[in-house]
Amino acid sequence: MSPVARRGALALGGLVVALVLGLTLAPRTSDVVAVVVLAAVAAGGGFVGSLPTVRAERPALARAMLTVVLVDLVLFATAFLSVPTDFNLATGAGMAVVLLGLSFLTGASGQISIGHGAFMGVGAFATAIWANHHATTPIVVTLLISVVVGALFGLLLGLPATRLRGPYLAGMTLAFAVAFPAILSSFSSWTGGDSGLQLPNSATAPHWLVGLFHAGTPTLTTDTLWLTDIVMVATGVAFFFMANLFASRTGRAMRLVRDNDVAAELVGVGLPRTRVIAFVISAAYAALGGALWTLLNNSVSPATYGFALSITILAVIVIGGIGTISGAIIGGVVYAYSTNVIAWFVARTGLNPQGNLASQLNGIIFGALLIATMMFSPLGIAGTIRHLRQRRALARERGDLRGTREGPTLAPESGTRR
Amino acid sequence: MDGFLTSRVVTDILGGLTNGAIYGLVALSLVLVWRATRVLNFAQGAMPMFATYLGMGLLSYHWPYWVCVGVSLVAALAIGAVTERVLVRPLYGKPEINPIVVMVGYLIILEAFAAAIWSTTPRSLPAPFSPIDWKLAGRPVGLSPFSLFEIVTALVVMGAIVTLFRFTRLGLQLRASALAPEVSRLLGVRVGRMLTLGWMLSTAVGAVTAILVASNFFTGLTPQLMDGIFAFGFIAAAVGGLDSPVGAVASGIALGVVLQFVGDYLNSNAIILVALGILIVSLMVRPNGLLTRSTARRV
Repeated sequence: MSPVARRGALALGGLVVALVLGLTLAPRTSDVVAVVVLAAVAAGGGFVGSLPTVRAERPALARAMLTVVLVDLVLFATAFLSVPTDFNLATGAGMAVVLLGLSFLTGASGQISIGHGAFMGVGAFATAIWANHHATTPIVVTLLISVVVGALFGLLLGLPATRLRGPYLAGMTLAFAVAFPAILSSFSSWTGGDSGLQLPNSATAPHWLVGLFHAGTPTLTTDTLWLTDIVMVATGVAFFFMANLFASRTGRAMRLVRDNDVAAELVGVGLPRTRVIAFVISAAYAALGGALWTLLNNSVSPATYGFALSITILAVIVIGGIGTISGAIIGGVVYAYSTNVIAWFVARTGLNPQGNLASQLNGIIFGALLIATMMFSPLGIAGTIRHLRQRRALARERGDLRGTREGPTLAPESGTRR
Repeated sequence: MDGFLTSRVVTDILGGLTNGAIYGLVALSLVLVWRATRVLNFAQGAMPMFATYLGMGLLSYHWPYWVCVGVSLVAALAIGAVTERVLVRPLYGKPEINPIVVMVGYLIILEAFAAAIWSTTPRSLPAPFSPIDWKLAGRPVGLSPFSLFEIVTALVVMGAIVTLFRFTRLGLQLRASALAPEVSRLLGVRVGRMLTLGWMLSTAVGAVTAILVASNFFTGLTPQLMDGIFAFGFIAAAVGGLDSPVGAVASGIALGVVLQFVGDYLNSNAIILVALGILIVSLMVRPNGLLTRSTARRV
């Protein structure tokens, strides 16, 4: 079977499975339309995106299709999952956007930030403040405004970064994270001081969604579903742009700066510009994540965006795989489920859930994982998976070569490839 | 004269010197580690915090105050040595973000363990001297016996470090190991041991600082005790130059005085904002610190 036919069959099979699953699970006939559309998009996108010619000649299109499929599958899932699960996943998705920004900063320029919790807070408060002054602005515009504000903050702090090397920038971002609560309370007439801000009107699901899934009765469930889907789509768009950036000329220039800044300068990459751009983009992504959190919670509180969040963000992305795109997704999942897993662990071991140890278990585990990751596998879970896959591919290749008669002449048995 | 001594300006300067002494000590401990091993130690606040809990916790078993201080210092030396040997040594020669991340992980673990063992409730330490300001003609001077003790302690510690580095054989070995490890090794200096010693010294300086900070009536001893202080200490060290002990101490003291005026004439929220502004501006003007000689980076 040709690769194209195989993929076609796979996509068709997926479509059928999705339809059967969806039609069995979907409670009303109106849902069927949604299920059919979502399944068709998944199958079609998956088919186009995985075509070898598309992957080779139109990588951006392939990435777009991959993003569409992934987001589509998540949307499909959210319609059938429980409200708390949806909310949890959306929280993780917002975090994944922040993690992607931090991962990009390190992966593209070799810098690190210990203040991304504060940049996240910038976006979160920008959204809430804007929504309180201009209640009618469409959500997309509010999100974009928050991203711009985040980028401006990134520019302000990133300007010194043009001349700084690693530890100075890390220390400066740490100082920003420590200062952020003071910034918030200095402008308490805008930021609402200690109590934070409520959004003026909570996002309500549009009529077509309500009509589709709940026979015309808007409920809390449909609203959460709507919000979750907004967050998921925004996350998908953010990941798509980042994947393209990583692969682009700018992305390559940035990686060269990371690996060897002197060589980068010699081939004409402007160091200061590259560093600032990387930092600004990274801050903008963090702001988008915070803005999504504000939408999701319908409110924002200064207590969320303290120093602790900043170091948690660093811990989670390092565990997931700093410098990689998939590491941000893994980190988001780890973040979303760490609380549940630890609560489960506490219940299983019979620790006092209100005790000191149980309440600090989070920090102990994250800290230990952070150190262990850096010591033994600096690219985190994503890097470890990649490494294992490469090893398997290499082993398979060797096996293939051994099986054919002319193998040894093509690749010497030992020593050259490791 | 009395009026002058109790005036707002003089009070602010004295109060600023007290805070500045603390910032200077934190900056000094950061510089000691940076010079020895090129690691910016983000756990520089947490390690002494842990040592302080270990030592000063003995107060509740009715150990004498100064013995507890001694135990804290010994604990700090031990923590510094173990940290360098176990956590930091495998990181030499790795990309510069690796030690940063490991030290942040260490910070998280130490604070979590401290909170798990001793809870997050602040624990008040007795101040060895009265924290109430001296009075002149019924008005406070802005200096108490305890804050004078803080300043004197800071000066003594700084003097001891300078003496050690400048005038002793050991200090020469310490400096040589930091600047030219290969040559020093050839000449018979136990470089590994010197690096460990640098971390021990730094943590001990940190423990002195942590005890002084925790003795402040308003804060007490908490696991997050040093988070904020660390930020100011780092700002001082970065402004003065991570390579310059004298610069770090001087800019720490200057920072303390400036911020005291900011807090008094503006408001308390403005303190950290101005500090952040100072950091940003000074890094833009002199990325390697105001008080260091510029050096070429070798490729």
